[in-house]
Amino acid sequence: MDPIRIGLIWRRIEGLVDQVAETFLRAAFSVVVRDNYDMAFSLFDARGRLIAQSKRSIPSFTGTLPRTLEAVLAKFPAGSLAPGDVAITNDPWIGTGHLNDISMVHPIHRDGRLVAFAASTAHTVDIGGAPSPTARDRFEEGLCIPICRIVEGGRESRVVVDFLKENLRMADETLGDIRAQFAAYADCAAKLAALLEDEGLEDLEAVADEIVERSERSMRRAISALPDGTWRDAFDTDGFDRPLHIACSVTIEGDRMDIDFAGTSPQVRWPINCVLNYTQAYARYAVKCLLDPEAPNNAGSLRPIGISAPEGCLLNSTPPAPVWGRHLSGHYVPPAVIGALSQVAPERAVAESGSPLWNVYFTGARPDGSGNFVKMYFMNGGHGARATGDGPGCLSFPSNVSNEPAEVFENQAPMMVVEKAFVPDTGGAGRFRGGNAQRIRFRSISETPIVMTIRHERVRFPPRGLYGGRDGAPGVDLLNGERLEPKSRTVLARGDEVTFQTPGGGGLFPPAERDRAAIDADLASSLVSDAAAERDYGRN
Amino acid sequence: MAATDTGHGAWSIGVDIGGTFTDVVLWRDGAAAMRREKLLTTPDDPSRAVIEGVRRALDRQGIAAADLGAVVHGTTLVANALIERRGVPTGLIATRGFRDVLGLGREWRYDLYDLDIAMPAPLVPRTLCLEVNERLLADGSVVTPLDEADVVAAARTLHTAGVAAVAVALLHSFRNPIHERRVAELLAAELPGVAISLSSEVSPELGEYERTSTVAANAYVLPVFARYVERLERALAGLGYRRDLLLVLSDGRCIRAETARRFPVRMVQSGPAAGAEAARMFGDLAGTRDVLCFDMGGTTAKACLIRDGEPERTARFEVARETRFAEGSGLPLQIPAIDMIEIGAGGGSIAGIDRRGLIRVGPQSAGADPGPACYGRGNPNPTVTDCDLVLGYLDPGSFLAGTMTLDREAAETAIRTHLAEPLGISVIEAAWGVHETVTASMAQAATIHAIERALDATRFAMLPIGGAGPVHACAMAAKMNINRLICPVGAGVASAIGMLAAPVSFEVGHAAPCRLDALDIAGVGTLLAEMRAEAEALVAGAGIAPEAIAVRASAMMRYVGQGYEIEVEVDPDKPGGGGRLHAAFSAAYKARYGRAETAAPEILSWRVVASGPRPGLAGALGDGAAVEAPPPAGCAARPVFFGDRFIDTPVHRRDQLRPGQMLQGPAVVEEDESTLVLFPEFDLIVDCARNLVATRRIDR
Repeated sequence: MDPIRIGLIWRRIEGLVDQVAETFLRAAFSVVVRDNYDMAFSLFDARGRLIAQSKRSIPSFTGTLPRTLEAVLAKFPAGSLAPGDVAITNDPWIGTGHLNDISMVHPIHRDGRLVAFAASTAHTVDIGGAPSPTARDRFEEGLCIPICRIVEGGRESRVVVDFLKENLRMADETLGDIRAQFAAYADCAAKLAALLEDEGLEDLEAVADEIVERSERSMRRAISALPDGTWRDAFDTDGFDRPLHIACSVTIEGDRMDIDFAGTSPQVRWPINCVLNYTQAYARYAVKCLLDPEAPNNAGSLRPIGISAPEGCLLNSTPPAPVWGRHLSGHYVPPAVIGALSQVAPERAVAESGSPLWNVYFTGARPDGSGNFVKMYFMNGGHGARATGDGPGCLSFPSNVSNEPAEVFENQAPMMVVEKAFVPDTGGAGRFRGGNAQRIRFRSISETPIVMTIRHERVRFPPRGLYGGRDGAPGVDLLNGERLEPKSRTVLARGDEVTFQTPGGGGLFPPAERDRAAIDADLASSLVSDAAAERDYGRN
Repeated sequence: MAATDTGHGAWSIGVDIGGTFTDVVLWRDGAAAMRREKLLTTPDDPSRAVIEGVRRALDRQGIAAADLGAVVHGTTLVANALIERRGVPTGLIATRGFRDVLGLGREWRYDLYDLDIAMPAPLVPRTLCLEVNERLLADGSVVTPLDEADVVAAARTLHTAGVAAVAVALLHSFRNPIHERRVAELLAAELPGVAISLSSEVSPELGEYERTSTVAANAYVLPVFARYVERLERALAGLGYRRDLLLVLSDGRCIRAETARRFPVRMVQSGPAAGAEAARMFGDLAGTRDVLCFDMGGTTAKACLIRDGEPERTARFEVARETRFAEGSGLPLQIPAIDMIEIGAGGGSIAGIDRRGLIRVGPQSAGADPGPACYGRGNPNPTVTDCDLVLGYLDPGSFLAGTMTLDREAAETAIRTHLAEPLGISVIEAAWGVHETVTASMAQAATIHAIERALDATRFAMLPIGGAGPVHACAMAAKMNINRLICPVGAGVASAIGMLAAPVSFEVGHAAPCRLDALDIAGVGTLLAEMRAEAEALVAGAGIAPEAIAVRASAMMRYVGQGYEIEVEVDPDKPGGGGRLHAAFSAAYKARYGRAETAAPEILSWRVVASGPRPGLAGALGDGAAVEAPPPAGCAARPVFFGDRFIDTPVHRRDQLRPGQMLQGPAVVEEDESTLVLFPEFDLIVDCARNLVATRRIDR
């Protein structure tokens, strides 16, 4: 196939997936999907190869969906999924690692022949059960939907929908999001049919072959450019009752890369265990960011990278481990991979960011008496400094969730966002400074108690600076000015105020090398205080 | 009478200021011709070129400014001020705790894999973002009254800092503007002469980041824009013009300058939107309703899709992107706009060699002053226009109807020094390389724009406008696999023509969230009547007879729990009860999403658009028979480069081509403001609207 034509069809497929994702976002019923963009939409060919994903995606979801599709096809071999069927599951070990992410798969047929799968994952704020920072197994954490058909021949399955309705606290919202995805699948099928028609193609196979092969070659070229050898990184994390350890080794051999997490702590009894599918997704994501950021992400670009972790370790836990907060381990995967690889490619080094992602859950009674609400609010930390400049203040990494406007939040919970602002002196000093952290303060204005759940990392071990850059500031949780356990559940009375300060990004290269004009700009913006400028940069 | 109906009176003038050229079009309803002037933009005082052009057009037609029924104007001033950060020092007043709303943004990465990602710097520096004690709740009720002393203190800080504008964006103000209005009163007293913009007026929409970004941009450009409009109005009055100046907004509608001056941010895409209006009209005249408008001027090139006779529209707009073409990397503006994208550089864009040793074009532009090297005004760097000249696409003697002579030698020297010698190739090879680079990247960007809307660009006819559009159109079309080109009369001044095609119109929005089952029908009637009165007054104020004003109303609706609305058309006189609205919503939802849900619907806001009629420009353009031109005299020829060699190519004067006439490529067709370069694989026919319709011979 002529490369120009491939290029055009390829771009068109990517455009199609973005359009379809937009249909989902617009029809969605939850803030977590449409404002936080905690979702992904992907297109696979008939053989189950990932072809394209929406631009607005959570990187881990695009990495976990291929395995989810594989599991769906193992249960429903391709021939048994009919047009008009939608398969659903949220099993953590074949999905994204916790029950709150529901994945669905829809086969797309043309003239009676299977040509593609549309698949998507979306976060649901509530999945029933009693998820808590102290849950002992995944049974406590809510409803597990085994792989089953939620739509069969175009008709919703009463049984599946009734199970969901009876088990979820926010069933209308969750089902609204699920049905918004049905609209997106129909849109995807129509647009794909038009595309195949326009391009005079019977199916996607020839294009998919090209896409996958070209992406694989591109990734292999990028790996080959690095010297052979093994590089390692290891560090401690806050953990639950005691610090945990993440260890990572990256081995480059010709055009292949193997990443292994041997040496990482064993899985724990607390709900911060990660599943291998999620670990793999984030390890590949980190490699792609570092080595081949411009090429599209698909089955080909993933192929040259092998990822393993010992069974039963924190990053490859076994059922029925509690996994609700799996990102509290899993978000350490990119910094571990980047930490190891930055030794080979210091020109691409990035200091650590203020992640794992922070969030907070609030549940309570709606003021109008119409039942209970469950609200989740995401908070990003400072981004690590890059070899090309300072880290931006509060940019989501490695996840990519947007913040929720305070005006939207306050419409949905009897609470006020009292403050949302940068905190001076929280970015690690360096020639390039880490991004500033933010402080977010909530106040309850509810007549009835609100239950608040938090699970925050980097309170003990802050984001690391790199090559002489200083660490970012650790995170802080306060209730009415008093320190709060970072993984805890608290009941808020009316007037109670809770403050979250996310971690700041790490700095890169020694502070003594920082440009004077940059320090002046830091001072002018008050993002760095006079005292800190004197302490870190010797400026008086 | 048509003249009064359109509000444009007997004679009208359209004026478009671009980065490089200022275009003036004079037209009279019913007249079968128009006068067109193209002048270099005068960046130090843009109104100078405008007045000069208007004067020239009037003189040539032998009429007085007092005879003009309307002057309609569009300008890139607002966009340029935002892109080049040339607005005024601006302060922001925010709710206590929210000074960093602009700096924090939405915290997401527009590129998943780029670790070096750059985020846009806010228009207001952090030191000028100040907080006041006040607070509304989500329902608009006051929980903390405004602390007026805070406002006064903030005003003094801003005064000391020397701001010339202040944006006010308080939480939930779109529900209840009481605090914002009081802040404005206090600021006006403390800061005389300082422009004040309120988010509840500029963009009364939910979402503090996008609303604040919009009002900050409005304040940032307001003094610059107001000063410019005043100067222009004064100068026009000096010429003897007695009517209101009309300005084109980003959605292709036009409105009195007095209204536009309060909302300059709505003018951010003014000229290009008028170009899209022109393309819509030309497409209609050529009987083609699916058109890809390709607008290439001196500074930028843009693309816009017109589907079924209507330009694609958007309510989400972005300006000053960090990464060219990357959605999410710019400053968000909540304004109604025609959906178009920048696809590349203009004729004045400078070509150089990048780090990989490859030709790179733009983003720097030589603008109008000094302009391309061939303008002979001291720019030593080669531009796209210099390459077009060397390739024979432009005639050094007849550029801008011969009012400007291009210096071919200067162009060659620039290309030789900066491209050919460093690359070790000939001047012609280098010029062709620039041409190929520019057209290939534009073709790619335009194709992506179409496919991101899930459309196939090859099904559209390309309609090139702008001075450099027709020069590059054939090469672009071939690369995009588009086989049909429509090159309208006056393509080089199409935005100015589009201004005369734009109806006087204004959109009023009002947020009034309410569940459909709790809708107060009488209250809605009152609200719509008020909105209608406001919109109608603005349109009537621009000289439209009340009986000629059409009013459309719509409800923005969604299911309770959703975050995005769909527009549901309603009868502005009889919006109907809940049942009728529910049925209309279900139908509209089904059309968009292919299904309807059982959840309860709600209304978020109402929109009312009042419009005068579209001016009947077709008379001036469509009646080919009326401009019976003499048959072409023996036409000239010049060598023109087409990829592998120079071909001695016939050169036609456009005004000598008659409807029905056919040409075979290669050929060059010149008119005063632009040149169509017909590549060898294209044929051309002049249609009855005097469009040059080119078709690609694909079998070759």
